[in-house]
Amino acid sequence: MIIAEFNESIKLAYDSIKSNKLRSFLAALGVVIGISFVILMGWVLQGLDKTMEDSINLMGQDMIYLDKWDWAGGHTNKKVDQRKDISYSQAKELSKRMTQSVMAFPQAWKWNNQIKYKNEKFSGLIVQGTTYENGLIPEGTVTDGRFFTQMDDQFGSKVVVLGSKAKETIFPNEDAIGKTIDVNGHKLLVIGVVKKQGTMMMDFVDTKVYIPLSAFLQIYNDQRRRSFTVVMKAGDQTNLDNVREEAKGLMREIRNLKPGEDEDFSLNETKNFQAFVDNLRIYVWGVGIGMTILSFIVGIIGIMNIMFVSVAERTKEIGIRKAIGAKNRSILMQFIVESAFLCFVGAMMAYIICSIFIFALATILPKFVPQTSFLSPVMPYEFLIIASVVSIFVGILAGFIPALRAAKLDPVDALRYE
Amino acid sequence: MDKSNTIIDIGNISKVYEMGGEPVYAIRDISLEIKKNEYLAIMGPSGSGKSTLMNILGCLDTPTTGRYFFKGNDINDMTDNDLAEIRNREIGFVFQTFNLLPRSSALKNVELPLIYSGMKKSERDEIARNTLIDVGLADRISHKPNELSGGQRQRVAVARALVTSPSIILADEPTGNLDSKTGVEIMHLFYELWKKGNTIILVTHEEEIALHANRIIRLRDGLVERDEINHHQRIE
Repeated sequence: MIIAEFNESIKLAYDSIKSNKLRSFLAALGVVIGISFVILMGWVLQGLDKTMEDSINLMGQDMIYLDKWDWAGGHTNKKVDQRKDISYSQAKELSKRMTQSVMAFPQAWKWNNQIKYKNEKFSGLIVQGTTYENGLIPEGTVTDGRFFTQMDDQFGSKVVVLGSKAKETIFPNEDAIGKTIDVNGHKLLVIGVVKKQGTMMMDFVDTKVYIPLSAFLQIYNDQRRRSFTVVMKAGDQTNLDNVREEAKGLMREIRNLKPGEDEDFSLNETKNFQAFVDNLRIYVWGVGIGMTILSFIVGIIGIMNIMFVSVAERTKEIGIRKAIGAKNRSILMQFIVESAFLCFVGAMMAYIICSIFIFALATILPKFVPQTSFLSPVMPYEFLIIASVVSIFVGILAGFIPALRAAKLDPVDALRYE
Repeated sequence: MDKSNTIIDIGNISKVYEMGGEPVYAIRDISLEIKKNEYLAIMGPSGSGKSTLMNILGCLDTPTTGRYFFKGNDINDMTDNDLAEIRNREIGFVFQTFNLLPRSSALKNVELPLIYSGMKKSERDEIARNTLIDVGLADRISHKPNELSGGQRQRVAVARALVTSPSIILADEPTGNLDSKTGVEIMHLFYELWKKGNTIILVTHEEEIALHANRIIRLRDGLVERDEINHHQRIE
């Protein structure tokens, strides 16, 4: 019995929107915008989660990077800036003395290098001086050729392993292995290419070129300040605490810190990435929620207003329906359904608009801003369910008071209304 | 007294409105008994209270004082919902201005009371169709009101009133918006319905229309002036 009335209400709502297209659209605009915010926010957050997962998988969940810098930005920049660089000997000493980790090795970077191949110059690539052990962690997995060996390390071989993007940049259409490139005036032989691993936060890894640390020290033997990183692999996540504690203790000793003095280095782990993403997440939520709430308030007012108009316009119809036996709750339902349906249609419009927008944005934007490559061009279908539920809820909320007014109309007065 | 045939039984009902702090009686102390298969006309000039009386008889409104029994049930004890159910099942309204839903087809209009009574789609579709055929609109079933003539619209309204097989049909100036020829056709339709055993209450200010009934109640200033059997019933 209620189903028959409900079906009737849906049809009426559909007719009502169809015969007042522009008016309905304008009334639902607030809801369209509100739902769009919810969808876009969810989409960005989902992209971030995906990216973080990828990054963690890429780094391996058992990695600790002892560095002068705090990767998640947990400490104020000023304080971090005042830290002393970690010298090569400090890094080497720590690497040697570590017993809890499966491997520990020093690393150094040089940003913005000029690399030459034949007569072409390439800038924006990162030279990473590292040891053969880098080839044993996920970051150093080669797809082509090989990573350098302990021998290369020892003798400071002039060899280089390219990140996938570095390879594409220097050798877009040819095989890189066996070619010689010029790094800071030194000729290096390409012996391998690392697999592509770029995600939002880690996409710089693809622009890296890896050379033995011993060669790195020769090539960049200027006395400019440089801070080294110690890469440690715990082997197992349960071993992370041991490695962390040992590294912390040893480094404090190496750096001559007094008991109670703050550490002047940071132990970066994959969970620091989590913290970074969590910060970003709060940021997105903060902005998104505020705007969403605001547009929903506007949306509710818009819908409520148009429902009051609709009730007033159809006073006579309400009178007729009551005269032939519509109960108050039938009238109440009719208008709530109409309001919910209007919002639902608005939500579907928002879903379609956002789908197109997302597809366009995720296809075009990463070509100009590579950092946005984490955005997925496909709208997750869960958002369809969320949008439907939220819009129907908003519709019921907005339609309730006008519907109540309609339901409480006196049939005699309503019939007399012209 | 045998009450088994009584549909409406009202006693000493009044409807009072406040106007500028003064009580104004729309109707005062009206008592009536309407039996099955009566054809009753309520007559009176405007302001005589006939609309108020019709609204009360039709359970659209409730009296300020007095008793009203509909088929033995006390209307004063009823909630809005109960009244809606009585209107749905027991009373069929026919209005002067037809009061059809403009965007719905004739069939949809006639089906509406059955939707509110909770009937299944297949069933109500068939009953609504048959009722439209009964009032002579077999070829106008899916037309919308604006595609129909005044007489046809009123026939749709009559079909809508009949579709739930109500105990009484309450017609408020049913020919008021029709030309005289069409009016005669509608009065003929009412006559046939009465002959089939329906109970009809006709509210009108036109003597000629009232003469179609077999009992005429004349109201003046909210009071019953005369309540008499019509010995000169007109048959169209």
